[in-house]
Amino acid sequence: MHQAPPRREKRRIIPLIEVTLLAIALVLPILLDDFWVLFTTRVFILGMLALSFDLVWGYAGIMSFGQALFFGMAGYSAALLATKWDITSVFVLLPVAAIVGLVVAFVIAVIIILGKRPPNLVFVALGTLTSSYVVERLARGWSYVGGQNGIPSLPRLTAGSFELTEGPLFYYLALVLLALVYLGLRVLTRSQFGLVLAGIRQQEHRMAFFGYKIQNYKGFVFSLAGLVAGLSGGLYAFHEGYVGPGQLGPVLSTQVVLYALFGGAGTLVGPIVGTGLVDLFSYYLSQMWQTGWPIVLGLLLLIIVMFRPTGLIGFLVSDRERVGSFGRPSKVVPIRKASHEPA
Amino acid sequence: MDNNDIKQRLQSYSRRLFLQRASLLTGMVALGGGSYIYNPKGSWAADPIKVGIATDLTGPISWGGIPNANVAKMVIDDINAKGGLLGRPLQMILEDTATNEQLAVTKVRKLVTQDKVDVVFGGITSSMRNAIKDTIVNRGKTLYIYPQLYEGKECTPFLFCTGPTPAQQCDTFIPWLIKNGGKKFYLPSADYVWPHVLNAYARTVIESNGGEVVGEEYFPVDHNEYSATVNKIMTSKVNVVFNTTIPPGVAALFKQLYEAGFSKGGGRLACVYYDENALNITPANEIEGLASCLDYFKAVNDPYGNKLQAEYTKLYATKNPFTAGSAATGMYRGLRLWAVAVTEAKSVKRDPVAAALDHAKIADGPGGGCEMVPGTRHVKMNMYTAVANSGKYEIVEKSKGPVLPGECLKA
Repeated sequence: MHQAPPRREKRRIIPLIEVTLLAIALVLPILLDDFWVLFTTRVFILGMLALSFDLVWGYAGIMSFGQALFFGMAGYSAALLATKWDITSVFVLLPVAAIVGLVVAFVIAVIIILGKRPPNLVFVALGTLTSSYVVERLARGWSYVGGQNGIPSLPRLTAGSFELTEGPLFYYLALVLLALVYLGLRVLTRSQFGLVLAGIRQQEHRMAFFGYKIQNYKGFVFSLAGLVAGLSGGLYAFHEGYVGPGQLGPVLSTQVVLYALFGGAGTLVGPIVGTGLVDLFSYYLSQMWQTGWPIVLGLLLLIIVMFRPTGLIGFLVSDRERVGSFGRPSKVVPIRKASHEPA
Repeated sequence: MDNNDIKQRLQSYSRRLFLQRASLLTGMVALGGGSYIYNPKGSWAADPIKVGIATDLTGPISWGGIPNANVAKMVIDDINAKGGLLGRPLQMILEDTATNEQLAVTKVRKLVTQDKVDVVFGGITSSMRNAIKDTIVNRGKTLYIYPQLYEGKECTPFLFCTGPTPAQQCDTFIPWLIKNGGKKFYLPSADYVWPHVLNAYARTVIESNGGEVVGEEYFPVDHNEYSATVNKIMTSKVNVVFNTTIPPGVAALFKQLYEAGFSKGGGRLACVYYDENALNITPANEIEGLASCLDYFKAVNDPYGNKLQAEYTKLYATKNPFTAGSAATGMYRGLRLWAVAVTEAKSVKRDPVAAALDHAKIADGPGGGCEMVPGTRHVKMNMYTAVANSGKYEIVEKSKGPVLPGECLKA
């Protein structure tokens, strides 16, 4: 008999989902009317935020309830530059947003993660939640950033003399950025570095005994997720034309957690699917039962998160594929040489 | 479907059935196919005018959003029953903004880009107005009418405000408070935009009427420990507590003031958003003598207002009452003024309607008629001062004619 084909060929469902979604996303503006193009653009932008959460939770096991903090701080910074200094260039504002996200996340990481003793899950969850809450409260009371009212009527992003109006143009901008971020994170999480992260997620102590500096890994991933959240915050502010304290707070932070858990954390594509579906559900439910829809939505999310911890993507993708393989397919090496140096 | 199945169907499609269906089709065409097929609901010949209502049907502000939606439906049904506008029916498209500004932008976008509404009414809080106004007015090129009492300073073109402004709530009220309370004021406030801006205005009115502000303090909205403040109020013999703290914090403040004996000792409690709905926040004895100033109270007892109240209560019962503090009166005014403007402009396009709305007036409304002050996009209206007496309001003063909004001050 011929040699059995390697099993990995059989279980490639995630790439299929990815390619299908990308193909659909590319042609969508031709098929949809204006409102749905705007709707989908927003899904892409929030999907990017959900990706940032998936990176910290799905891959490194850091429960961050503060992704909105980086998102909102970046949005506010870009909005302030645009309204107080009349800078509207996309080439300035989006990098600034991403860097603000990175820096804020790094500062939080220094306080919460990189302390003398390694923090536990609950400490990080509450620490990030509190930071998000505190900053929202501060923003509500600070008149320079508009207080409760936020900063309305943001100008549009520009590229040279060209205005990036929301619609197909902004759609493709968001899609390209989302695809780039996605690709980057995919390479990162499927590399040897990703293997270390998965190790930290599954068995932190064992990784520590192997000699990995776990906190540094966590700090790095946390800051990187801040960068992604910041980029998405910058995009969001200019797509919606408004920033407000709600974009900083625990409500959005929690919403992002739900996006990711609903779609399926630890898969990257899951949270994006989750974002789209949760927003679609909430849209249609609110059309059907205008005074009670949040209850139905809440129950729906609860059921999925309780009975399907791997999220919706868990219906399609096996556990084995979810965990995935890391780095280059390993050559057959003698067992003695198999252990790796710490990256 | 296999062959047998098809055959069966063909056989069952008898000549009689064919004749029946053919005659039905002929009848439909003969009766005017267009109207029958495309508009089964009504007998209107023309496309409806689309009125978008975006308000908080769920979430913490739903106590205000629900009456807003109710009033809108009541008025729109009434206009339709009387033949619509310009011979066209009004179609109300309601969206829930869920007290969530992030969500609201999407909902309003749906109204503007998908439903292509001709006008948007809604928003209760200033933060909501700020979040959605750009999507409606600038990016959406649609008229926007905001119904709630607010801090003023809204100067966006094509955005009309139909609720009371600080000037309207202070200009007649504060002199009354000085006469019926005293000259020493204390301003305990919630720490957000409305109280800050309102207090700044109130302070100028207090001082220009010979009063004095003893203290002005800001608390988080859910603050519940006011003993230091109450102590200061009692020891410095303050006459009037001009309150802008809001629920949930306000209940604790009023309770602690009551326990310290502020009102019993002759002090006057004042709060300009307190309507009939708000009376339920605190036990009646704790706010005995509280004075409020709004564009309408049930106690105004004007025939037109009473008629509206009766109509509203018949339709929606009393759970979400028709009051001024929830912006329901502003919504009523806004819709009626807009209807007048559409009729005058003979169009629903934004620019001609805005031009007509700029000087629109209505003879009747809750608390009396009102009119737009040209060039300001704000409304001149009657204001009433009322005092709580065993859980009910009594009107103690009515403004001499409509009060000017004093907005928008920026050119």
